[in-house]
Amino acid sequence: MITIFYLLGYLALIGFIVTSFLKIRAYMSKTPSHIRWELYPIPHEGKRAAYGGSYMEEVNWWEHKHTVDHMGDIYFLLREILFLEATFHHNRPLWYRTYPFHVGLYLLMGGAIILVIAAILRLLGCSPDGWLIGLIYWFIQIMSFVGCVCLLYGGIGLMVRRLTDEGLRMFSTFEHFFSIGLFAMFGLTGLITWLTNESFASCAGDFVYNALTLNFVGVGSGGFIVHMLLGFFLMILIPVSFMSHILLKYFLYHDIRWEDIATCTSTKRQAVINDILQYKCTWAAPHINPKGEDKTWVQVATSGYPCQEGEK
Amino acid sequence: MKTIQKLTDISTVEGQLIEYDNNDLPKLPLDVEPLPYAAPSEQQKKDFCCDMLDGVSILNIPRPKNALEEQELVDKFLSGLKKLFDKNNNWTFVNMLEASMDCCAQCNSCSEACHLYEMSGKNVMYRPNFRSEILRRIYHQYIKKEPFAKLRYGDMPLNWKTVVRLGELAYRCNLCRRCAQVCPIGVDNGLIARELRKVFSQELGIAPKELHEKGTELQQQRGSSTGMTPDVVKDNVEFIDEDYTEITGVGIETPFDKKGADILLLHNAGEVMAWPENIACFSLIFNAAGLSWTLSSKMLGYDGVNYGVFYDDAQTARIALQHFQAAKELGVKKIVIGECGHASKALNVIADRVIPYDLQVPREICYVTLNNIIKEGRLKIDPSRNNFPVTLHDPCNIVRLMGIVEPQREILRAIAPQFREMPCHGVNNYCCGGGSGFAIISRNNCNVWRNNIASRKKFWQISEAFKDCLGPETKKYICAPCSNCKGSIRDILEMHELFEKNSFAYGGLVELIVNAMVDVNPGFIKWGEEE
Repeated sequence: MITIFYLLGYLALIGFIVTSFLKIRAYMSKTPSHIRWELYPIPHEGKRAAYGGSYMEEVNWWEHKHTVDHMGDIYFLLREILFLEATFHHNRPLWYRTYPFHVGLYLLMGGAIILVIAAILRLLGCSPDGWLIGLIYWFIQIMSFVGCVCLLYGGIGLMVRRLTDEGLRMFSTFEHFFSIGLFAMFGLTGLITWLTNESFASCAGDFVYNALTLNFVGVGSGGFIVHMLLGFFLMILIPVSFMSHILLKYFLYHDIRWEDIATCTSTKRQAVINDILQYKCTWAAPHINPKGEDKTWVQVATSGYPCQEGEK
Repeated sequence: MKTIQKLTDISTVEGQLIEYDNNDLPKLPLDVEPLPYAAPSEQQKKDFCCDMLDGVSILNIPRPKNALEEQELVDKFLSGLKKLFDKNNNWTFVNMLEASMDCCAQCNSCSEACHLYEMSGKNVMYRPNFRSEILRRIYHQYIKKEPFAKLRYGDMPLNWKTVVRLGELAYRCNLCRRCAQVCPIGVDNGLIARELRKVFSQELGIAPKELHEKGTELQQQRGSSTGMTPDVVKDNVEFIDEDYTEITGVGIETPFDKKGADILLLHNAGEVMAWPENIACFSLIFNAAGLSWTLSSKMLGYDGVNYGVFYDDAQTARIALQHFQAAKELGVKKIVIGECGHASKALNVIADRVIPYDLQVPREICYVTLNNIIKEGRLKIDPSRNNFPVTLHDPCNIVRLMGIVEPQREILRAIAPQFREMPCHGVNNYCCGGGSGFAIISRNNCNVWRNNIASRKKFWQISEAFKDCLGPETKKYICAPCSNCKGSIRDILEMHELFEKNSFAYGGLVELIVNAMVDVNPGFIKWGEEE
């Protein structure tokens, strides 16, 4: 039975990696180039970022090199990820609930990564009873407790708000409650495990070590097993639900909101646009394709009135 | 007051979906009492779906006469939706649209940022995510046909009423994208509204006639959405030159079709008809600054308007292409776009990846050109001539969507001693209420809706900016350097007689610059009875 538990863990990890990969690939491969749809402020605009300015504020901007301040982008995203600044500024009542929820997730996810590192250290010869692993487990013990409490508090808070706020209630679906509820359960089972086992960190650490060494033996209590099974399911659920914003947020910011590359600065982009314009366009409205012909976008764009007049 | 109880009301409720009481709309310090709606006639109701949403009918979709026509409407809508999510038909937006479809957590942060939601008295139907969520459910259930879609995302019955109301709802958004700016995830409800408009225009052939028949189609047929042909525009500009030579005391001559000029100045041709002083001011300033410039009289080359950006990708591309061709034929070094927000974004940003690069000409916004003229000291300016309170409206298309924020402010700081910002200015501005086409649509209560709700936040901003001098004893200037924005602001000022009650004047940047030029007769800007 315990072997199945470990196998489910592997499956969840593989499932998460594969579905995440497919999700990201679907976004990236859907079009070679979308339209420019930037939204200011863009943090990589250097000094101008402070007030939301762009390189287009310069006279003859195309004659100047567009310097991109990548650190500006990174700094902004770090603030957004670590503090959920947009929600803090624009939806404070929600922030009080969603921030602990996200902090809980970060701590538990971060803890899992640290445990993998600890397992590798053990494989390299570090004793589980030594000071280094002991120190790591001490951190994990704190992180897991705070993480579970935050996740439970945030999860319950978010569900209560969805039920009590009239505006949110109308837009909340089964999936919202199901997903948030599962996360809250994940926090609750983690907390129970933490309270009922001598060391949550040891249970989790041993599990990760055993999984890495294919040593399928039992760890901790039944509560820990339930906690982990919930975690496995959540790993599968994230990429295929609205929580996929974890994966796509990078693109929503970097590739849409902040993507301000002018075509004149990219010969690669110039070639891509020429290719895309050869795509077939089958929109059926009379002004686009009055005779229902097989047309490309180039043909559609050049079939407006002045061109028709010219042909006449 | 009739309101929405659940999202599926859009498909199930008979008659008008919402009604609201004008008394529920937020009060303003200015005397701008909400106006009553005019009820449609019985014949209108019989012929068109004009009474199904909120008392306003922008699309005016013909009412299906039988079950067959009802089904046809649904089928065409679904056919269009499939194309919306298809790489070939929608390479311009498809991955951005899908990301917004998949990632929304329904946190409602967008609502608090939306002036329409706030100024409607927080009516749920005007939440930015209302139409998006309905489309999202249709997408999961009918396009992706996901297993358990009804359970996971909520059921959304799809019938002709859903289609008609969604189409109309796509036109209850100014596409200002303030909601997208505050979204923690990056979901863009403005984009979704525009994509819905595309389905109706590009697949069903349904669009507001002011944008399509009298907009992009007329522009392509006659050269301008105003209906002015090349000969007419040249005549009109000649008259403007004569009139404003007399008014300003400075000889104005507007060059047309000057081959090899450095700059092609591309106005919104609506200025020629509605605000001729704007055309004259540009000519006066560019001549005084010694620029090498010209207007074009080629078809479309004299009208920078591109209403395609509001509703249709094909029309956007066709018009942008003609603008570039006009510039190419003249051999200019750059196109400078006049005071028009959507024209600026259309040609600078949107066209950048729609038109092949070898057909493009560099583009610049007039604020940048004008600021450079002022900074280089090419004009003799006396700022004391502008010694009255001035506030600046930020056109969304130029500020939030292009990041051009400071040049217009640098000009105002140099020429208007009493310049003051509105609250929520710069990239955090609010739409004038006329964005995405509303400025030019007046029929079927659209003007009432615009004035009651869409422009209301702008007038809150204006009243806050001038709160120390709102009375008629102080002359005040609302600087709105965008043609459509000026139209919306003018409508409210006129309708509520605020020119007289509060001594407001409105106009663009160039009028303020000319007003401060020492070579120009004093008192170029007029208030109320002076006009």
